[in-house]
Amino acid sequence: MLAVHHLGSGYKPLQILWDIELSVQEGEWLALLGPNGAGKSTLLKTIVGLLKPFQGEIWYLGKEISALPVHEMVRLGIALVPEGRRLFAGMTVRENLMMGAFSQNDNGKITAQLQRVFDLFPVLKEREKQVVGTLSGGERQMCAIGRALMSRPKLLLVDELSLGLAPVVVDGLLETLVAIKQEGVTLLVVEQDVNTALAYADRGYVLREGRIVKSGEAKQLLEDPSIQKDYLGY
Amino acid sequence: MKKIATVLVCVAVGVFLVWCPYLVSFYWLRILTNIFMFAILAQAINIIAGYVGYPAFGNVVFFGLGAYSTGILMVKFQTTFFTSVLVGMAICVLFTLLFGVPVLRLKGHYFAIATLGLNEATRAIVDNLSGLTGGGMGLSLPLRAGDIGANARYFYFVFYGTMLLSILVTYLLSRSRFGYACRSIRSDEEAAEGMGINTTKYKTLAWMISAVLTGIAGSGYAYWMSYIEPGVVFDMTIAIKSFVMFLLGGPATVLGPIVGAFFVEAVSTLTWSHLLNYHTGTLGAIIILVVIFMPQGFISFIRQGFSFSTFVKKGKKKFSGREKRIEMA
Repeated sequence: MLAVHHLGSGYKPLQILWDIELSVQEGEWLALLGPNGAGKSTLLKTIVGLLKPFQGEIWYLGKEISALPVHEMVRLGIALVPEGRRLFAGMTVRENLMMGAFSQNDNGKITAQLQRVFDLFPVLKEREKQVVGTLSGGERQMCAIGRALMSRPKLLLVDELSLGLAPVVVDGLLETLVAIKQEGVTLLVVEQDVNTALAYADRGYVLREGRIVKSGEAKQLLEDPSIQKDYLGY
Repeated sequence: MKKIATVLVCVAVGVFLVWCPYLVSFYWLRILTNIFMFAILAQAINIIAGYVGYPAFGNVVFFGLGAYSTGILMVKFQTTFFTSVLVGMAICVLFTLLFGVPVLRLKGHYFAIATLGLNEATRAIVDNLSGLTGGGMGLSLPLRAGDIGANARYFYFVFYGTMLLSILVTYLLSRSRFGYACRSIRSDEEAAEGMGINTTKYKTLAWMISAVLTGIAGSGYAYWMSYIEPGVVFDMTIAIKSFVMFLLGGPATVLGPIVGAFFVEAVSTLTWSHLLNYHTGTLGAIIILVVIFMPQGFISFIRQGFSFSTFVKKGKKKFSGREKRIEMA
């Protein structure tokens, strides 16, 4: 579904990512791991088009997309849940969700999708008319995921799912992501908590200093001694 | 209920202002015309700075461009005023198309300074094209035929109509899809881009609307004053004054900048005519008091039921609004 070849990217003139090779299959859950500053967010931003690659190619559904502007990417079905939520302050929950549907023009489908988001996150329905500043951290993350879902993506990129959230809230969000995956959305999730990240994912990639140092089945990675040593403290 | 009351008050004021030219003296007619002109400028700044969050300090460049379009066309090409307004609008549109993409890449203070630069550069060009613009000698426009009273009323209604147009545009913008795009850009531009909003397109469009409104005001000013020179129509104090009105009235509200313009102009006229020796000081003190007691502008002061608030209280209750104001100031 998504294939990244020989990708280099960063913030001009600073190159962060070097020679990234990555592929995502349709319908799978891919975990992206790595310490702070490894380039995980940079990779997601480059895929969605917020950053333009220095070198390399990004193929999505048989098309080379690295030169397209972001609004084209969203129309093609790639949506990003940005790091730290980045909700639109001063707008209500409903307005924030509707902003996610900005690229859509079929009102019937938008309403149906809004209903679907409210089904996934019933608490958002309750808080529909509240300004997002009044939400708790978990609710904000739900709103951010819901907003990304409003564009009816085929590929959902989630940056730092658990940032600043209580473990019990993270569990709830992960279960919702499972439901989203079952509806056919492909997931690429950046997560700090390696144990949970790999427990839910099908496959994983490990980034370090801007390069992919390891990749494989989630189970294999969990048992990998170097991962255990670096991340799990065994 | 509140909404009906607002609409009723607005309609009443609107009708009264149509009636006004037949009631008040020429002195007050002139002051009201001036207020309308500044209300248009403040509203134009509201569109780009209030809704999109781009503090276009140098927006006065469009005032000058509008004024000089009208001046040059009416003097050198003997066109009608109306034609010259249309050409002035077109020039403002071209200007934003040409400079929108590079300048709107800058944010916050950098954008503000870049627009100042555009204004100064344009002023210098106009100053030096003396064959066409008259340079520092200025440009004298043909006087409008008719007696003083008829002319005063004519310009009163030109600016009044344009002000109503600017209110209508802002109202439509505040509730449209376009308006939501603008507000999301102000709130978080990168996130807005990530939602599939073509931010460059909407920023440029908003700046264009702001420019066209400012340009019309400039055209009207040139014909009204019948004499323009670069130092007067590209004057930064016009920009600063309209920015103060916009901030005092209430950023990103439909009526805020209008109320702000009325307040600042009325107060400065009254202090000037009654306290000649202290008028700038008095005006400054009044503005400081307003900022302290109504930090979010008149409109939210009225919305919150005329309750005074101070920096300290507001800081605890509502942080985001004040933060934005400081950022913009």
